[in-house]
Amino acid sequence: MILRVEGLKKTYKQNRAVDNVSFQVEESSIFALLGPNGAGKTTTIKCILNLRKADSGKILLNGSFAYLPETKELYRYLTVEKMVEVSSSVTQNFEKNKCIELLDEFQIPLREKIANLSHGMLTQTYMALVLSQKADIYFMDEPTWGLDPIMRNRILELIRALTYDGRTVFYTSHILAEVEKVADVVAIMVKGKIAEVDSLDNLKEKYVLCVVPKGEKIDGFHYKSTENEDIYVVRKESAKGIVEPANFDVIFESIVKGVK
Amino acid sequence: MWFSVDFSSPVPVYKQIKEKIKALIKSGKLRKDDFVPSIRSLAQDLQVNINTVARAYRELMSEGVLQPVRGEGYVVGELNEEDFTNQLIEQFERAAVDCKRVGIDLKVLKEKLEMIYGRNEDDFESRRA
Repeated sequence: MILRVEGLKKTYKQNRAVDNVSFQVEESSIFALLGPNGAGKTTTIKCILNLRKADSGKILLNGSFAYLPETKELYRYLTVEKMVEVSSSVTQNFEKNKCIELLDEFQIPLREKIANLSHGMLTQTYMALVLSQKADIYFMDEPTWGLDPIMRNRILELIRALTYDGRTVFYTSHILAEVEKVADVVAIMVKGKIAEVDSLDNLKEKYVLCVVPKGEKIDGFHYKSTENEDIYVVRKESAKGIVEPANFDVIFESIVKGVK
Repeated sequence: MWFSVDFSSPVPVYKQIKEKIKALIKSGKLRKDDFVPSIRSLAQDLQVNINTVARAYRELMSEGVLQPVRGEGYVVGELNEEDFTNQLIEQFERAAVDCKRVGIDLKVLKEKLEMIYGRNEDDFESRRA
């Protein structure tokens, strides 16, 4: 166990962003925190890293960390090359050669000013900087946002490769197809609470879709209704009616909608 | 060793890996005492997580389908053919029930089966070419 969060709470002026959240992350695994916009994912990361002061709760972080924030901002007036220098001088265990190699692979012009990079290139540059930092756990907030599918797959590969060396990744995303490819464990966060947390494979085994006559009571998450039927995502043991397998998209959507 | 994995399928990925390895054994492409790739290299080749392959291998080992060789990796052990065959037949039955439910004529299915069973390897190769 490299990270444990217990009863984390954080309230901004009006809204309760993180509401009594608990989970733990195992070493060498990829943990995905997943949820709709405004669920509290970024605030959770910021509280873990002490960039926001939590109202209450316990956080145990056993090791060094690297962090890719949601807003990818670097010094605009610096060239990419200079940015690498700066990172190298202020970051512990920074592998400069690896960073240059990654930037080269991503085809980022080293002499270009940060300000002139496209959104995607900026994300890739930031990612190269973070991946070149040796750490026990990597926090990545929306690491593939705005990247094309091929680059996204490459980033996923690099994320996966971290775990081959025993490192851990904690990341957030709202792209389900991506999460399915890379996450070991997913935590579904809705309205500041963790609605479900388990390995992706376990979730697929745990839930099925049930089609029951309209109005029939069933213990599960409502997915949708047709004229004569209600369709629910239900735990296997309480399944009834017509039972169909449920894919992760459906499970996710139903759980998110089911949280009042 | 390579096969495709469907991440968006309701079937858990570790299960897909187990089934595909069993199918390779059943079809004779993997034989008893053959080495299978290490967990890490299969994960890399399939582009899935290491933990997922580890889980598949762990279960295959407890079923005796794979056996660890100390310091060297994993070799193919005994495939419980009966279990595996039964599983496939169950899958076939489910598909057949679906066909029946939507009113597909038995004759159509029979023709399909005859076509598949009557087709020899040469035909298959030429179809692929």
